[in-house]
Amino acid sequence: MIKVENITKSYADVVALTGVSFEIKQGEFYGLLGPNGAGKTTTISILSTILKPDSGSVIIDGFELSKNPEQCKRSIGVVTQEIALYNKLSAYENLLFWGSLYNVPDAGLKKRIEETLQLFGLADRQKDKIETYSGGMKRRINIASALLHRPKVLFMDEPTVGIDPQSRNLIFEVLEKLHTDGMTIIYTTHYMEEAERFCDRIGIIDKGTIIAQGTLAELKSTGGIKESIAVTFTNLNEDLQLKLKEALLGDFHFSKQILTYYSAQIRTDLSKLILRCNELGAEISNIEIQKVNLETVFLALTGKQLRD
Amino acid sequence: MFKIALKDLKLFRADKRAMLLTFLLPIPLITLFSLAFGGMGSSSGSKAMILIAADEDKTPTSKRILQQLDSLKEIDIKLTGLDTAKNWVRKGDEDAVLILHKGLKDSLDAGKEMPIELVYDKAKQVQMGLYMSVLSGNLMRIVGTKSMEKKAMNRFDSQNPGMDSAMKAGVHQMIASNFDGGSGADGKTANSDGGAILKATAMEAQKENAPGLVQAVAGTAVMMLLFSVAGLGASLLQEKEEGTLKKLLFAPLSPQSILFGKMISANLISIVQMVVMFSFSWLVFGLNIKQNIPALILMILATAFACSGFGVFLASFAKSRAQVQGLTTLIVLTMSAIGGSMIPAFVMPLWMQKMAVVSVNYWSIQGFYDIFWRVLPVTDPVFLSRVGVLFLIGLVLNLLAIRMYKKNILNIA
Ligand SMILES: Nc1ncnc2c1ncn2[C@@H]1O[C@H](COP(=O)(O)OP(=O)(O)O)[C@@H](O)[C@H]1O
Ligand SMILES: [Mg+2]
Repeated sequence: MIKVENITKSYADVVALTGVSFEIKQGEFYGLLGPNGAGKTTTISILSTILKPDSGSVIIDGFELSKNPEQCKRSIGVVTQEIALYNKLSAYENLLFWGSLYNVPDAGLKKRIEETLQLFGLADRQKDKIETYSGGMKRRINIASALLHRPKVLFMDEPTVGIDPQSRNLIFEVLEKLHTDGMTIIYTTHYMEEAERFCDRIGIIDKGTIIAQGTLAELKSTGGIKESIAVTFTNLNEDLQLKLKEALLGDFHFSKQILTYYSAQIRTDLSKLILRCNELGAEISNIEIQKVNLETVFLALTGKQLRD
Repeated sequence: MFKIALKDLKLFRADKRAMLLTFLLPIPLITLFSLAFGGMGSSSGSKAMILIAADEDKTPTSKRILQQLDSLKEIDIKLTGLDTAKNWVRKGDEDAVLILHKGLKDSLDAGKEMPIELVYDKAKQVQMGLYMSVLSGNLMRIVGTKSMEKKAMNRFDSQNPGMDSAMKAGVHQMIASNFDGGSGADGKTANSDGGAILKATAMEAQKENAPGLVQAVAGTAVMMLLFSVAGLGASLLQEKEEGTLKKLLFAPLSPQSILFGKMISANLISIVQMVVMFSFSWLVFGLNIKQNIPALILMILATAFACSGFGVFLASFAKSRAQVQGLTTLIVLTMSAIGGSMIPAFVMPLWMQKMAVVSVNYWSIQGFYDIFWRVLPVTDPVFLSRVGVLFLIGLVLNLLAIRMYKKNILNIA
């Protein structure tokens, strides 16, 4: 459905994309996860034809973007980071206008608007001007306005930034529905929870390039990161540390009062570890299991946190 | 493109401030300016009313009548030729003129209807009534008795055809002395007969428009137009700043059509605004807008085109909305000042009048003067040249706007 090959982009003094490639199948929910400034918005801008890449190629729904921008535009819906609506017009008027740009026949469009307003839970407020809406409601209309022409592909650039939980959940529900209905979606975010929750496949982007991609399970196994058990002791001295080091097998290290033990099968290893500690007279005050998630994957790949 | 224009019009309608600026603010301004320039070129204001009169009879009797009218404290008679007098009414320079036709003395002597005529501007009913009331009473006093005396004698003569001339002369003497004494007592009859003495004829004035009013209306119209289209142009930058322009670019339409949509709506709003302003001036100040409709339409279109070109041009080369607003105020006020929107161009020093040609205001205001004051026909080359200049200005500004738009506005992100 979408094939992005080695696109690069530089602004006046910054290199925003150093070479981004990915491929997305029809109906796939693809997450682009990366910290602020990674190049997510730049990528989406290029895919949605409003920014020309310096090099590389993009194919959407079989059309080469540089050669057939109009055709590509018909297949895509874009939800930007910022809310782009006419505040002085009502929600209904906004939807009517945005929908009309895609040559949806009038009658069909009006029906779709009704349905969409229903879907986003804003049918009763449709006559009110956008300026009277809350941030979350505006965001919902903003998303709705990108769906009226029934795009095959939907690009969403951080649609949940600065939004109330209620609206966020509603957006998630809609997204899940669209996904089940078979829409191809690219979703950018810097929240790993969102990427983990929805995405069939995830591309991790940093400093203008995709550093890893695959399903959640695939990503978790990249970089050889294992889950770990962190055990905090009350009486850890050099003597005890030495005894433990002799007794334990595998991959572990000590720092201050904490022992971190890496393992591929954490459940079986956990009871063994506790047994060993008891035998050696080490008093445990806390045990914490550190699972592998996108955060730790990102940490392992880049040496920094996803969120600054 | 039309969808975009329609949306812009909807947005404009929803924007109360813009509506106010476009349609309401010009009204007090026109009123203010027309009060300020109102006296220009028209002859009202002095206590005694100046009455233009044409003496076609040129007899001692007609001279005496005019002298006696002139001696009245409420009337100042100014003599001129018949054609000139009528022309002044036709052009709207005078509300009414008094004409003493040939044969006045003879009809007076013969006791027939008096060929005295008040030719007045059809649109000036009120002024005509004023003239009539002053004139008919006085004319009655001056010539009325004389004429009735003759009438009585004539009646006597016709009823007694067989009477010899010596007898007749005696009776005439009696009638004359009778009338001399009784002029005051006969005031009532005389007045009711006044209409017969003074015939009032309406004349359709072709140019009742005082230059002061034309100045006020045209000057304000163009200036306000520039402000409101600049506002619409600024909405292009607002769209850029609020992200809706970017969103428009996601849609399968050519980027230029967004600009063209703005141009269309700017033109439409300009046209409506001018129609409103001229209608207002017509209804309230009696600006005669009906005398040359084709020329007026042409001028409105040309002005709308030039002004809206200015609006989109300004928006396309400014960097931000704040910048547009600052520039708008500066440029519009400067252009309006040198172009004659605030002070008529002809009272400005010559060097300023020469500079005026760089402003949209100048060409447009002069064009409206052509229509309303100089009363040039729509085919007049001078008038058409102004229309041409305005269209040219509009064309150049629009083309520049398209170029700048690609360079400035479309580089999003
Ligand atoms: N219009 C621009 N001009 C200059 N630099 C920009 C512009 N837009 C983005 N950048 C830079 O490009 C890089 C990528 O930005 P962006 O794609 O917005 O990242 P993200 O959306 O992942 O936060 C950042 O370093 C950012 O500062
Ligand atoms: Mg971004």
